Amino acid sequence: MLRSLQLPRAATARSAFKQSSLPSVIAPRLRRSYATESEEKDLVIIGGGVAGYVAAIKAGQEGLKVTCIEKRGTLGGTCLNVGCIPSKALLNNSHLYHQILHDTKNRGIEVGDVKINLEQLMKSKDTAVSGLTKGVEFLFKKNNVEYIKGTASFAGEHEITVNLTEGGEKTVVGKNIIIATGSEATPFPGLEIDEKRIITSTGAIALTKVPESMVVIGGGIIGLEMGSVWSRLGSKVTVVEFLGQIGGPGMDAEVAKAAQKVLKKQGIDFKLSTKVMGGDASGEKVKLQVEAAKGGKEETLDADVVLVAIGRRPYTAGLGLENIGLETDDKGRLVIDSEYRTKIPHIRVIGDCTFGPMLAHKAEEEGVAVVEYIKKGYGHVNYGAIPSVMYTHPEVAWVGQNEQEVKASGVKYKVGNFPFTANSRAKTNLDTEGFVKIIADAETDRILGVHIIGASAGELIAEGTLAIEYGASSEDVGRTSHAHPTLSEAFKEAAMATYGKAIHF
Amino acid sequence: MASFATVCRLSARLTAKQVRQDATARGFRTSAKCLAAQNFTMPALSPTMTEGNIAKWSVKEGDSFTAGDVLLEVETDKASMDVEAQDDGIMAKIFLGDGSKGIQVGTRIGVLAESGDDLSSLEIPAEEGPAKPSPKQEASKSEPQAEAPKPSESKSSAAPSRQPSESVEKQTYPLLPSVEHLMHENGLDASAIEKMTPTGPNNRLLKGDVLAYLGSVSAGYPAELSNRIEKLSHLDLSNIKLAAPAPKPAAKAAPIPESIPQDVDIAVPISMKAVVEVQKRIQSSLGVFMPLSTFIARATDVANDDLPRSRNYKPTAEELFNQVLGLDKVASTNGTRGSFLPQITALPGASPVASLAKAPTKKVDVIDFLSGKSKSSASSFTAKPVPGMSASINIFSVKVPKGDEKRANAFLQRVKTVLEGEPGRLVL
Ligand SMILES: Cc1cc2nc3c(=O)[nH]c(=O)nc-3n(C[C@H](O)[C@H](O)[C@H](O)COP(=O)(O)OP(=O)(O)OC[C@H]3O[C@@H](n4cnc5c(N)ncnc54)[C@H](O)[C@@H]3O)c2cc1C
Repeated sequence: MLRSLQLPRAATARSAFKQSSLPSVIAPRLRRSYATESEEKDLVIIGGGVAGYVAAIKAGQEGLKVTCIEKRGTLGGTCLNVGCIPSKALLNNSHLYHQILHDTKNRGIEVGDVKINLEQLMKSKDTAVSGLTKGVEFLFKKNNVEYIKGTASFAGEHEITVNLTEGGEKTVVGKNIIIATGSEATPFPGLEIDEKRIITSTGAIALTKVPESMVVIGGGIIGLEMGSVWSRLGSKVTVVEFLGQIGGPGMDAEVAKAAQKVLKKQGIDFKLSTKVMGGDASGEKVKLQVEAAKGGKEETLDADVVLVAIGRRPYTAGLGLENIGLETDDKGRLVIDSEYRTKIPHIRVIGDCTFGPMLAHKAEEEGVAVVEYIKKGYGHVNYGAIPSVMYTHPEVAWVGQNEQEVKASGVKYKVGNFPFTANSRAKTNLDTEGFVKIIADAETDRILGVHIIGASAGELIAEGTLAIEYGASSEDVGRTSHAHPTLSEAFKEAAMATYGKAIHF
Repeated sequence: MASFATVCRLSARLTAKQVRQDATARGFRTSAKCLAAQNFTMPALSPTMTEGNIAKWSVKEGDSFTAGDVLLEVETDKASMDVEAQDDGIMAKIFLGDGSKGIQVGTRIGVLAESGDDLSSLEIPAEEGPAKPSPKQEASKSEPQAEAPKPSESKSSAAPSRQPSESVEKQTYPLLPSVEHLMHENGLDASAIEKMTPTGPNNRLLKGDVLAYLGSVSAGYPAELSNRIEKLSHLDLSNIKLAAPAPKPAAKAAPIPESIPQDVDIAVPISMKAVVEVQKRIQSSLGVFMPLSTFIARATDVANDDLPRSRNYKPTAEELFNQVLGLDKVASTNGTRGSFLPQITALPGASPVASLAKAPTKKVDVIDFLSGKSKSSASSFTAKPVPGMSASINIFSVKVPKGDEKRANAFLQRVKTVLEGEPGRLVL
């Protein structure tokens, strides 16, 4: 086939297509072959994280001969081993503890001595993790996915050398290759991570004792979640954030402010618009120099533990990209086209190591779509309808655009807001913090964004995602029955408030 | 997160195909889409072939295929051959089904679309083929109809006959509650829907489309908004700033943070005193000489039975399933038979057995061995000392991959118990 590797594939494929009106040129069936034909797989996937393992299972289901290479020793990647799952286990149990400690008497429940057994708390987290990673391994077996434990690097455009975990080396050949090597915590220049006193989220889910004080650098989702855990367990937590708002750039400013207020009430201190200048871990306590971002006031913070949570960066070390000339951008993301292809068209990239939000469900969507591209030539991920959730208490969740973004885009919009204080279920639960906020186009009423802060925001946001996926107007949601008494009624009432008026507010 | 605030521009990397897809997604009234479909005609499999039969289609209508996939098998009086796709695409339509006979070369047998094309909005091109279908092709009965389900009954039948402008897809699913409500409120009946322009995902009719029809919002606005939202649904791949090319890797690439597990030596000191005693007793009472190696071989055999599992053990699907359900903790016998062969070296300074032994040359840390501690084998650990055996303490060791330490330890402890405690039982 007349295909130049330098050009994006679709462009060349298309021109070839035009000229040759497809199979009018006929060739007796021929298989492409490589030197080690017996080893050749239809698809080789590097990385067994969410992106990689989902793609592997999907490929197995599609009947492709597929191999997945993972060096960690267990499947599931960051998310299952040191990310979403362990952090949520700790968040859930620390919340339970915190609630038993502070929020039982007025409910008529009298509790005796309440203590934390940190070792058991961690064990229960580990049980959740190992159950899930084994579950993935089971799914591999079930779907005929070959699983190789080892570290992969490119030897050629089709050949991958695997440094096997059990010793030795192996070459795997793939017709198609997917890179799904994920991400790692971005280190803070000048602070050396030891995962004991200066930690990333990986250390934060495995501390062996509750530190007296903790400084969290970075007020994004991961920092606030881990900060919440240790604050509930008794640490004095201070969050230092460079920007003027917490929650990262995606969070609606109004929601971010509300979240900060609630978290502050729970005992977390915030230093916004504040820059960390440097640190010193030589003494008994770690000392951090901070300074107001706009210059001026300097200050030193002491902490037993410093959590570095300033973001994550693509992880491609040791992959041998230079051997095949693959490019990354200035943030380390592997460069792809809209069908996840690199400039070598049979090598594709998905998940945290390329563009888009670093979220497990985004990685999962891509895992399915990329296999569909390979197998069927068409796949789809709607990046405009990917929800984000922060699992603090209350939770914060959103989908679509936030108010800052809609405003900046110049669209005329309406906002409907409904507080949980006016929702019967929230009231009966004595858990009324937060609200539902819906942003819709002023003229057509089409929903542009949904933002929720409240007890089950992470579950409620599914309805908003569905609404956006289907192009619904706020009226469509408002005219749909929601069970009573549930928190989801607040969603419906916010919708009603957007195109008309809420009933209960 | 990609910034939603910036209006996404199509990147240079976005291909022609992408651009066209966008065009079809928004321009419902353009005729650009008819470019996509191509007639697929009976190929000439040899210079002399004039007609052929379709033995069997390997794809159905609506199937996607990639370059190299077999599309169908064609028979002539001389041979039968697979027809392969030269590029990726979709089988949009099949006109002549399995078993069609005597089809002239150049006769249209199907329609091909490009990967990613929406079949429901595909314009089927007119036949430009030279030959009228020969009468013989009736032979195929109506088989193909049953074989190849149409991708979407209502849509594909509506597509080719679409009126030139303003008309829309039939709204076959339940209308959105807001749409239904507006229609009733304004006394519109179903025929009005045909005159509206749907702008929702997959041509869904939205509230805004009804409002535009009613004139309460400007006619073009819903489409404009849809466009805007459509753009947000793609990754923003514009303005990619490439990293400066990495310096050619010197000697070694960046170190891999997580260390690759190495093999581990597990060693246990075992006294041969009891064995030597038994050996002597057997020789004096039975007159039989049992070499030490026999004792060791038998001890090894016994100790290899039912060992705890390696951490590297790859469970079967069924075992994994049981683990997921927590059933593995219920079943009691979880061990497997090992295949360890211990390496034996006399402790330096120990008195060698008869003529057998040479003192080992390797320096060993006695404390490590006595404590039974495992020790990572250095890479220089290649030249094993010549096995020698002492009549008293010997070091029994096995080299195992990381993860197998527990299993190896259990093995060696058993060897120790048997040899030191009750070696007599090995020869009973
Ligand atoms: C503390 C924390 C909490 C999080 N919480 C959430 C959450 O609640 N919700 C959410 O959606 N997301 C969450 N995330 C993000 C989520 O974990 C990631 O988006 C997701 O794991 C990305 O999946 P991935 O497959 O792209 O990469 P990863 O999960 O990082 O997987 C990549 C895998 O590739 C392997 N690998 C790398 N290089 C090689 C090589 N050369 N050879 C072989 N294997 C290799 C790695 O060992 C790794 O296992 C959280 C992250 C963290 C750190």
